[in-house]
Amino acid sequence: MGAVFSSLFARLWGSKDVRILILGLDGAGKTTILYRMQIGEVVTTIPTIGFNVETVTYKNIKFQVWDLGGQTSIRPYWRCYYANTDAVIYVIDSADRDRISTSKEELMAMLEEEELRDAALLVFANKQDLDGAMSVTEVSEFLGLTALKMRTWTIFKCSAKTGEGLTEGLDWLVNVVQGGKK
Amino acid sequence: MYTLLSGLYRQLTQREEYFVIIVGLDNAGKTTLLERIKALFNGVQGLRPDQIGPTVGLNVGKVDIGGSRLNFWDLGGQRDLQSIWEKYYSDCHALVFVVDSTDRSRIEEVKTTLDHVIHNESIEGVPVLMLANKQDLPDALKLHEIQQIFNQIAVSLEARDSKTLAVSALKGDGVREAIDWLHLRLQRNREMRPPVFRN
Repeated sequence: MGAVFSSLFARLWGSKDVRILILGLDGAGKTTILYRMQIGEVVTTIPTIGFNVETVTYKNIKFQVWDLGGQTSIRPYWRCYYANTDAVIYVIDSADRDRISTSKEELMAMLEEEELRDAALLVFANKQDLDGAMSVTEVSEFLGLTALKMRTWTIFKCSAKTGEGLTEGLDWLVNVVQGGKK
Repeated sequence: MYTLLSGLYRQLTQREEYFVIIVGLDNAGKTTLLERIKALFNGVQGLRPDQIGPTVGLNVGKVDIGGSRLNFWDLGGQRDLQSIWEKYYSDCHALVFVVDSTDRSRIEEVKTTLDHVIHNESIEGVPVLMLANKQDLPDALKLHEIQQIFNQIAVSLEARDSKTLAVSALKGDGVREAIDWLHLRLQRNREMRPPVFRN
């Protein structure tokens, strides 16, 4: 599996640094996705300001992960991580119907950040292996993705547990990030 | 005086923006067209056609022509995704409908889809451009054949600007002409659908 991703990301080598954020509520499966990619060692750091950031650096590509939601007092510090972001991977627990509206609010609030204006959005409707998981259509409706008018976005179903769907989504991401380069 | 000057400054610096929605059946070549437009007008390389998969969601492209900016919304064409299109109708200034001219078996589907799209209330009064794509392929339906199909439906558009043009998004043939047509029509239609102004 790791070989698949390293050949995928190989297309992003070269000219400039690429920065990709993997965000979502706690328990959505962000870290599992990061591990699934098997492209490097996941390093967990706790910045002085007090939230967990997991990082994988692969060649010139940097993936950073943290949980959205809760802890309103530290939110302003997230901004430090938004600058020069090429793409955001937003992970949804498709089986968690109770928190999908919270997830929507967090997503929309985040996308209003000026620094993220040009970042492409890949939504992973994760945990498709679970019974009662929402379909991609349901997830995109609940998230209100069609309200996004100035941003390139897509949604893929996946299961970080089985690995299903990850390649397709990341392939899209690599193409979009690469296409944005001059 | 300040008000006058700042008003003048704003007039000089603000840019009018238009939104163009690109729809059509899946595999019509919408994303390839968008990539071609970006390549022609922005000088970026764009995605190679073999890198383009089916669109699920939205691709956005920005192109500056003269003093105006054209924002393109390329939306996925699969049947399940067509319900997304109408979310973008009320904000768009022009509609581009892309047809795979080689796919004779789906022409009926093209007709019903187009008919459905252009009769949506929120898209009323918007210029419609139909693009007969994939003209580089030998078995493609000719422009006049696609025109015939379009004209049957376009009669009900009445005074709206509409046109069918032949293109090859892959080779780039006809793409510049298509955008020029759009640009002119967007400006002519500005009473109906005023542009958005941004500084």
